[in-house]
Amino acid sequence: MLKVTNLKKIYPKSDRVAVDNISFELKPGEIFGFLGQNGAGKSTTIKCLTGILPFDSGTIEICGYDIVKEPIKAKMNMGYVPDNHSVYEKLTGREYVNFVADLYKVPSELRKERMDRYAKLFRLESAMNRQIRGYSHGMKQKICIIAALIHEPKLWVLDEPMMGLDPQSTAEIIAHMREHCAKGNTVFFSSHNLDLVKKLCHRVAIVNDGHLVDLFDLAGNEANKANLEEKFFRITGTYDKRLFEDYAAQESEDMRPQLPASDEDDPKSAPCVADGSAKQDPAEE
Amino acid sequence: MKGDISLTRVRTLFKLDLKSRFGTTHKRGVKYRIAQWLNIAFFLAVYAVLILGMYYLTKIFVDRSDLRLEFLVLISLATTVIAAAVATGNIIKNLYQNGDNEMLLRFPVSGREILLAKSIYCFLHNLAVCVLLMLPFYVTFGAVTHAPVGDYFTYIGVILLSSVATFAVGNILAVPAMKIVNAVKNKFVVVLIVTIILVCGAFVIYLISLSSILEYMRDSKQDIFSPEMIAKYRAFATGAYPFRWYAELVNGRRYGTLQAGGLALRFLYILLMTAALCTGAYFITSHEYYKTILYGIESGKSTVSRIVRDKRMSVVRTLLTKEFYLILRSFNYSFEYLAMACAAPIMVFFCNRLAATMGTDTVGGAIMPGITIMVTIIFITVTVSFASTCISREGGCFYMTKVMPVSFKTQILTKFLLYSVVATISVALSCLVSGIYYTSAAGEHALSGVDAAAIWGISEILVISLTSLCMAVDIKWPTFNVSGDGELVAANKNVAIALIVGFFIAIVFGTVVMVCNFFPITIGTWLVSWQGNLGNIYLMLTIVSLILLAASVTALFKGLDKRYNRIIW
Repeated sequence: MLKVTNLKKIYPKSDRVAVDNISFELKPGEIFGFLGQNGAGKSTTIKCLTGILPFDSGTIEICGYDIVKEPIKAKMNMGYVPDNHSVYEKLTGREYVNFVADLYKVPSELRKERMDRYAKLFRLESAMNRQIRGYSHGMKQKICIIAALIHEPKLWVLDEPMMGLDPQSTAEIIAHMREHCAKGNTVFFSSHNLDLVKKLCHRVAIVNDGHLVDLFDLAGNEANKANLEEKFFRITGTYDKRLFEDYAAQESEDMRPQLPASDEDDPKSAPCVADGSAKQDPAEE
Repeated sequence: MKGDISLTRVRTLFKLDLKSRFGTTHKRGVKYRIAQWLNIAFFLAVYAVLILGMYYLTKIFVDRSDLRLEFLVLISLATTVIAAAVATGNIIKNLYQNGDNEMLLRFPVSGREILLAKSIYCFLHNLAVCVLLMLPFYVTFGAVTHAPVGDYFTYIGVILLSSVATFAVGNILAVPAMKIVNAVKNKFVVVLIVTIILVCGAFVIYLISLSSILEYMRDSKQDIFSPEMIAKYRAFATGAYPFRWYAELVNGRRYGTLQAGGLALRFLYILLMTAALCTGAYFITSHEYYKTILYGIESGKSTVSRIVRDKRMSVVRTLLTKEFYLILRSFNYSFEYLAMACAAPIMVFFCNRLAATMGTDTVGGAIMPGITIMVTIIFITVTVSFASTCISREGGCFYMTKVMPVSFKTQILTKFLLYSVVATISVALSCLVSGIYYTSAAGEHALSGVDAAAIWGISEILVISLTSLCMAVDIKWPTFNVSGDGELVAANKNVAIALIVGFFIAIVFGTVVMVCNFFPITIGTWLVSWQGNLGNIYLMLTIVSLILLAASVTALFKGLDKRYNRIIW
């Protein structure tokens, strides 16, 4: 479905290799998680495989079509949800989705059925005829998702898709990812949510400093599932025993700090200030 | 809008405002500094030309026609109106429409402090405008009339008072203007039509006035103004208050009829009027400012609704539709895209009429084809310069053009079609209107059929050439400097490049036709004359246009995929 071989990308006027010799292959019906810290090379890899960025070496094939040699055929099989959810804000939601559907040559009856279904699924029915300019952050994300799905792509690529979404929509996207893959399609998404990746993905790749450091199965491999966080922290060079234990504890324990009985009784409670001139208690200093 | 005002916070806000406008003190590159100096030099050159014009105008009124006070009244009226209009625009832009209002309201500062900090900037801006506008007139007036040194101090005082008064007027006018802007915010088509009518109307009035002045000057044999005209000026100046008060103060005691007491009284009148305006401005602004910006923030998200059918369109048609909606639903873009194209036929016609006024049987008749081709190319340039932001305007959505399964060539061709079709129709109409009128007896046969057909042909070739060039430039150097709702913050350097190239072609083509139709030209020992027979010249210009066309189309489409792929957002 997606085959990336020895991908290398260096940004112009930069010495740093943003993506260095990354290779992986995605199978039909698979949900693939792409993990890494901020600036590790996740978004650059995604931008290369969607055709947004040119790359220096390597090959990318989508459904057997090379993104450089046969870009139109390759792109026809892909739907992309960007991390910044930029859309043509002067268009209405319906106009935008129709525009994308036209580009992917989706027949009228099919697009109407899909658009209505997705609009209902993501609770956007009442907003579809309004200009996107007036949408909230989450609504823009949803319209991007609808537009990416309108042609039922074989490969669905999402760059940090859950950011800014309400719990109901997050649940709907997760459900739809599963449904999409059940039809033999593939989902490739980047995320910072390790818990979600652990529960949802068949396989996962972790990138660090432009390199693909590890790629392993999660489906049917309980050990990998259990160690995902630790692996991630170790690979990304952020493993600190105390920090990691704190992170791991979040899942099992109640992490809320205890509230004082009342603000007045608590000698440590910070007083409200009327201006920025208030100084810290010298005793505390 | 309640709360105490802290001058420290006002000063901090003012400094923040200045920093955001003029940048920090970081060292810039040599290129930037050269560009900055060139800008200053260009501004000074234009200003020097204006001062020269002011000097001759003063001589005409004061020396040749003895209309000292009348001249000062007219100058006072004109400069005050211009300064008030600039102040209103500046206040709307900075106080009401600036996107930082929402951000500033999040800080622990009151609305009054934001208003005060921004008003200080607006006042200083207005003061600079008044000085630049009025000082040259008054200094020139002083020089022409050999005014004593003391009078120059009076001029400075008058300018300061005028700047306060115009600033107050600007503040008062800004509130209703903002309310109108908010009311018509989403009615793009209506606003566009009204604006086009206003632009055309203003241009027509300007050209008719200019034509009347030229006609008047041609008919005047001895003096620059006839006794009737002088009487009209005097009658106007007698009742033109409050501008007469300013004029009397500038005119001073030496040549005026007023004594010290009279002048002091005029000064008092101006002071009282300015105080009244300032009080009115204070009450209106302090009452309306916070409400208006809050409304702007709250209604910023109000949008149009439109129901469309989910009907499939071809790729080219859907790209065209999308591009057209994005233009139509933005006032700035639709104005740039359509206004000049709609106005061009009217403007070309009236420019030709102006040329005809200069004497169809002497100079005018001979230069008509040259003027027509020059004016037509100038309007083509302005119309198609919109294409030089074709990629930059995509802004944050640029990724879409890379992700969509449509070749870059198709996307560029679609944009090219949309931009060039308007200019093509506009040129055809311009040539048709001018052709029909000026080849007829009513237009005194100022143009021949060959002239009209050749100008049309050459212009259409240049539409394609300039559109291609504009788009090629933006593909080479796109600047994705967009505001919150995806509109370009300011026209980029690509627009300037497009305008410079287009104007250069217009001047060269126009001059060639004018010169060849006017002077007999000697090459070696041969006397070559194209007077009244421009066929060969048109042929030559057509060949040059075709070469330009080939070069610009090649520049746009050769290696397009590679160049387009290199664009990174």
